[in-house]
Amino acid sequence: MSATRSPKVAERVAPKASDPQAPKKKRDEDDGPDFGTLLRAWIESHRASLVDSLRRLGKQPIGSFFTCLVMAVALSLPMGLSLLLNNVERLGGSWQRAAQISLYLQLDASPTEGENLSEQIKAMPGVADAEYISKEKALDEFQQQSGLGEALKELPQNPLPGVVLVTPNEVDKATLEALRQRLAELPKVQQAQLDLVWVERLAAILKLGDRFVFGLTVLLVSALLLVIGNTIRLHIENRRTEIEVIKLVGGTDSYVRRPFLYMGALYGFGAGFLSWGVLAYGLNWLNDAVVGLAGLYGSDFALAGVPVADGLSLLLGAVLLGYIGAWIAVARHLRELAPK
Amino acid sequence: MIRFEQVGKRYPNGHVGLHELSFRVRRGEFLFVTGHSGAGKSTLLRLLLAMERPTTGKLLLAGQDLGQISNAQIPFLRRQIGVVFQNHQLLFDRTVFNNVALPLQILGLSKAEIVKRVDSALERVALSDKTDLYPGDLSTGQQQRVGIARAIVHRPALLLADEPTGNLDPRLAAEIMGVFEDINRLGTSVLIASHDLALIARMRHRMLTLQRGRLIGDGEAGE
Repeated sequence: MSATRSPKVAERVAPKASDPQAPKKKRDEDDGPDFGTLLRAWIESHRASLVDSLRRLGKQPIGSFFTCLVMAVALSLPMGLSLLLNNVERLGGSWQRAAQISLYLQLDASPTEGENLSEQIKAMPGVADAEYISKEKALDEFQQQSGLGEALKELPQNPLPGVVLVTPNEVDKATLEALRQRLAELPKVQQAQLDLVWVERLAAILKLGDRFVFGLTVLLVSALLLVIGNTIRLHIENRRTEIEVIKLVGGTDSYVRRPFLYMGALYGFGAGFLSWGVLAYGLNWLNDAVVGLAGLYGSDFALAGVPVADGLSLLLGAVLLGYIGAWIAVARHLRELAPK
Repeated sequence: MIRFEQVGKRYPNGHVGLHELSFRVRRGEFLFVTGHSGAGKSTLLRLLLAMERPTTGKLLLAGQDLGQISNAQIPFLRRQIGVVFQNHQLLFDRTVFNNVALPLQILGLSKAEIVKRVDSALERVALSDKTDLYPGDLSTGQQQRVGIARAIVHRPALLLADEPTGNLDPRLAAEIMGVFEDINRLGTSVLIASHDLALIARMRHRMLTLQRGRLIGDGEAGE
């Protein structure tokens, strides 16, 4: 039989005593690559998977971009709402500020007594801060904010009392009420006022908002996992033959899975980056209108953009979601891809 | 190397692929498995590749019981085997070099080692000058030789081939068989499933004949 084949092939495949490729001679040293070699190979394998995934995404730039865009929209909705809620919270003041207790002092309380009382209150348990506002400062602020400056100047004497603004540590209703009662009993205090109804309403609104955002997040994260899962499933289908061959020549499940996980993470990265950009642009776009509206009410309120920490969390979360979505998709389909 | 002991394979639909098959293959042996379509040749190869498990009997490959092997061990078992298909199963979006390098990349060998071994394997099948081409640029015979290079590049102890000459003209078929013989001379056990009796008869190697899943002949081809 050998006589009929091409001499060139015969010559090349015939065993040679000095052939370094002879299996029997080389097998011993092939059995055990050292740790360094294995580590380098592992890193190289990951690098190759990452480059391959990037190359495949780059081959279909429009398709990849739209997948990222769909994911970015799914990410932007809950994240955008959350950022808006944060801004609403900031607009109403922080939780602690919303729960401030105003101590109206007796009219005969001197500024020194007011300062001393403020220092005394600061040292009380459950108090985060206390600030004394003198009668004169209170009148100045009232004149500026009320627009009744000229009329107030006509008054024979300042009708406003000195005030100590107390910021509590807790926002719990019972704790606040107990603190208000203790403060009301202090000397020189005419009245201690806590607007709990407003605090409760704000808390209820923000709680509702938080729950809405949470629900929306769960829904959209599920949708996002489905999007990434479906996208990865299509990639798996396109590479079915390749996967079957890899499995036949000894590729483990983790070897098969690796490029798809990188692909999922890359989709997530793209989506997170796009979402960050969309939110930053969107908030900036809204801000012009908000600043104009706030100005009409004499406020200098402006929307805060996307904090860097939040943006980075969004990016990391998106990468993680892409990775998890890809993992689920590959785990589901890998079993179906037994070589035939 | 391979030991079949009363191995049977019954598929879930009731079809019996193999019926109490018993034979042994020594290390370094060259063996043909022949028979008509449906005789059980492919089932036999699928069992050896752990794509199927025997339903009865015991199948040992290099000391491993393929009926008991865990799913996690299967890839490592397959790394000891080279496999050549009738339809080559090449990846057409990868170059010849990258097709042949695949088993080595899976093994995690260094780049330098991969280059060395791929060059050597391609030299063995006389395709050294085709490394940067894609399979679509090659003739059917050359594609089959790429498949063989990929099957031997990781120096398997056993080479399986399923109708490797099925699509080739007689001259190319003989040439491919010659490559298998040369690989066998280097110590690799070779098991070829083929129904090309004329070709097998000229080779003078051991031949198992299957019929409806049963072993009906075990002797030298051409006897």
